[in-house]
Amino acid sequence: MILGLLTPTSGDAKILGCHVSNNPLQTKRLIGLVSASAGLYQWLTPRELLHYFAVGFGLSEEQATQRTHDLSHRMGIEQYLDRRCATLSTGQSQRVNLARTLVHDPPVVLLDEPTRGLDVVGSKVVIDFVAQLRESNKAVIVCTHQLEEAERFCDRFGLLYRGKLKHEGTLAELKQETGHPSLVEIFLRLMDDKSAKADELIERKQGLDDE
Amino acid sequence: MSDNQLQTSSSPLPKRRSTVPFSMAQQIEFTRKELRETLRDRRTIVTLLVMPLLLYPLIGFVLRMVAFQTSSDSKVEYRLAVETEREARWFSDAIQFGDRTIITSSTSDVEPEIQFFLPNDNDEFDLESLVAESAVDLGVRVKFAGSINGNQRATVELYENERSLQSRDAGDYVERRLAAANIELIKNRARQTGQSLSIPIEQTREQIKPEEKSSAILVLMPLVLLLMTVTGGVYPAIDLTAGERERNTMETLMALPVPRFRLLAAKYVAVVAVTMLTGLMNLLAMSLTLYALQLDKLLLGEGGFTIALAAKLFLALSAFALFYSAVLLLLTSSARSFKEAQAYLIPLLLLSIAPGLAIMIPGWKLVGGAAAIPLVNILLLSRELLEGTVQGLPAAVAIISTVLYGASALSLAARVFGNDAVAVGSRGRWHEFLQRPKESSPLPTLSSTVCTLALLFPLYFIASGVLARGEAQPSVRMVMSAVMTVGLFIGVPMMLLGWQKVSFMRGIGLTPAAWPYWVAAVLFGLATWPWVFEIVVYAHGFGIRGIDPDKIKNVESLLAGWKQVPLWLMVLCLGILPGVCEEAFFRGFLFNGLKRGLNAAATIAISAIAFGLFHVVLSGGAAPERLLPSTLMGVLLGWLTWRCGSSIPAMILHAIHNSTLLIVVQSRDLLAEWNIGQIEQQHLPAWWLAISAAVLLVGAGTIRFLPQRPVTADDST
Repeated sequence: MILGLLTPTSGDAKILGCHVSNNPLQTKRLIGLVSASAGLYQWLTPRELLHYFAVGFGLSEEQATQRTHDLSHRMGIEQYLDRRCATLSTGQSQRVNLARTLVHDPPVVLLDEPTRGLDVVGSKVVIDFVAQLRESNKAVIVCTHQLEEAERFCDRFGLLYRGKLKHEGTLAELKQETGHPSLVEIFLRLMDDKSAKADELIERKQGLDDE
Repeated sequence: MSDNQLQTSSSPLPKRRSTVPFSMAQQIEFTRKELRETLRDRRTIVTLLVMPLLLYPLIGFVLRMVAFQTSSDSKVEYRLAVETEREARWFSDAIQFGDRTIITSSTSDVEPEIQFFLPNDNDEFDLESLVAESAVDLGVRVKFAGSINGNQRATVELYENERSLQSRDAGDYVERRLAAANIELIKNRARQTGQSLSIPIEQTREQIKPEEKSSAILVLMPLVLLLMTVTGGVYPAIDLTAGERERNTMETLMALPVPRFRLLAAKYVAVVAVTMLTGLMNLLAMSLTLYALQLDKLLLGEGGFTIALAAKLFLALSAFALFYSAVLLLLTSSARSFKEAQAYLIPLLLLSIAPGLAIMIPGWKLVGGAAAIPLVNILLLSRELLEGTVQGLPAAVAIISTVLYGASALSLAARVFGNDAVAVGSRGRWHEFLQRPKESSPLPTLSSTVCTLALLFPLYFIASGVLARGEAQPSVRMVMSAVMTVGLFIGVPMMLLGWQKVSFMRGIGLTPAAWPYWVAAVLFGLATWPWVFEIVVYAHGFGIRGIDPDKIKNVESLLAGWKQVPLWLMVLCLGILPGVCEEAFFRGFLFNGLKRGLNAAATIAISAIAFGLFHVVLSGGAAPERLLPSTLMGVLLGWLTWRCGSSIPAMILHAIHNSTLLIVVQSRDLLAEWNIGQIEQQHLPAWWLAISAAVLLVGAGTIRFLPQRPVTADDST
């Protein structure tokens, strides 16, 4: 919804003063999207793929080539830059995907369940990536069901329940507000409070990480 | 989430309009990626290269076998059993004698070969059983009975197999020759005895070649060619749309800050490229097969398969590729997986075969409404190209309407494409097109206007054709034409706008414009006709003319008929009303739809070309010489409309232009007095053109230095 891929029934989001609803293309330019399920183009090489997205985000031909070079160095994907994406391992694809996210140097990075389905090494890559983003002064938004994991690397949290933002603040603030010791507890209590029909849940937890 | 939490310390970017400037380099990169994706895939290459190389030689061999079957049928061989050599010799002579008298009247009958079977010394030889066993076609027994005037008299008994066609044919063959011999002998005898004898019934028989050489193969070939061409596009279309979704790359693609239709356009170019490559490969394989198996002359007549014919076929295939690729993308864009896409495409392919079978109806030609039926028109066109009977106007209508249908399918596809990028909350299905929007919008949508254009073109073509046939009085016909113009160019957009909850006045661009534009419009309207006139005269000079000299009389009589109509009625029905209505459509409705998704140049160009194409099929006859002036006129009208943001000045310009031209044509007699006779052929005096050019410059200058109307926010959303 923040990316303008879905139309909200009500409300709006604003990124760097840019309203999603009336300026969707400009907002897309400010966001890098990481999704656990995102695939790569099997017949392209990582170099072509990064170049494609760089140009797609409005970089010139030379800028795109330069950016591809820099990013591949930074993400450690230089060795397989000219192999077809279909031949890459899961971890390698993961790195290419993360590099793709940063191709236009977005101020905000949106991670949609970034560790879903990943093994320990894969998760480590993502967590290191988030740490790297924090160091380079980017805003990172993580959507996840892994509440414990979120507690580890997020600064601010928002609890989304049935499409509405229920609680929002730092971990300490949330604990104080609800009187529960952990995010999991807070969330479970939220469910008990609001609804008895747990099977219909659309559960979402949102962690906000300010720099 | 609240706003301030998403703010970073970096300085906020200045707020920009959400439209992204169109970058050709970017579009090329998009297209390059789609082409790479498609062409590196081996499955594409298989359908592209291997299939035609396998299929056509196969079809060719079958055709050759069929062809030889028919040609060996015409070289018939009859096997006749005769009991004695004497009988055989006499019988053979009799047949040859009869044959000589018959052959004069038969032209193309191929002479069958006759073989006689005679008994060997010890063999049992029974005529009836030989025939019954099908060992021979005919059994012959000759009983000699003395002679008359030196000629042997005989009774011939023929035995034929009642189940065998060949046997009966042999019987007929022999019987006809014996009868002819008899008649000839009787004639001879009568001559010898000095009697005058005339045969009561004389007959001759001639075989005439049919006018159309429409063999089943000629009908089948375009169908095979088109279906094979289509198969080339099927796989890329699925792969580039539903495939994106299946491989989970759609979400990242949709995250690009680029309007969807530009991403789809890149995919479209890739699909069209592959489809056309497939078409070219198929054409190549087909012509090579025809050439190598020496079928070209057999099927296509003396000329054989020429490069010009191949080029024409390729043009028809290209128009078809443009159309079919758009339809494919429309279907596959709404599918979420390969499986779903295939489920949509199989009915489409089957549907494509149906018209292919329908065009086998031999009398069906590419005329009238058939030229506007999608798929059927291209099939008929390819068949007529192969037969060499194609005509200009229906061919143009077939190609133009096919391209327009393609454009509307593509604009619809752009609406579905990427709607399901996010797995949850899937929306954007097909039926959205048919749902009335809940909220009103200021302008019509791009896709709806392009679809209306595609719908109007055949309607206009058919309506003007019907009108041209009418036997009504010139004045009645004129009023009818005016009613048609209003109905098509105002009525149809009005219904659509009402359905879309768009204000009618705004939808067709009836918004106020600054007064200097009105002045400029009047100036343009008065000054454009000499130039339009000149271009038409030049086009005639280059041999581009739609009305052939035979039909010029019709035009003359039409013009003579016009003279009986009061001038005011003519100016109203053929000048002002068409001017206003056409502008309401081309510079109002269509223009407003186009500018929602395109920039100034593209909006003006597309509306102008559509305007030019409509004028080619004006009044039921092709007028290719009008394409250029009408398109240029469309550019001028489009520029004016873009500058002032209203279609009213364009209406004024167009109405004045039409009316002036009409009055000029009507006052030909007056002009003749001024020494400007034969107005259709002769150039206008240079000083007329100079004055007109000066007025045009003044008009253009007026517009150029007027402030351009600012583009309001709702125009571009």
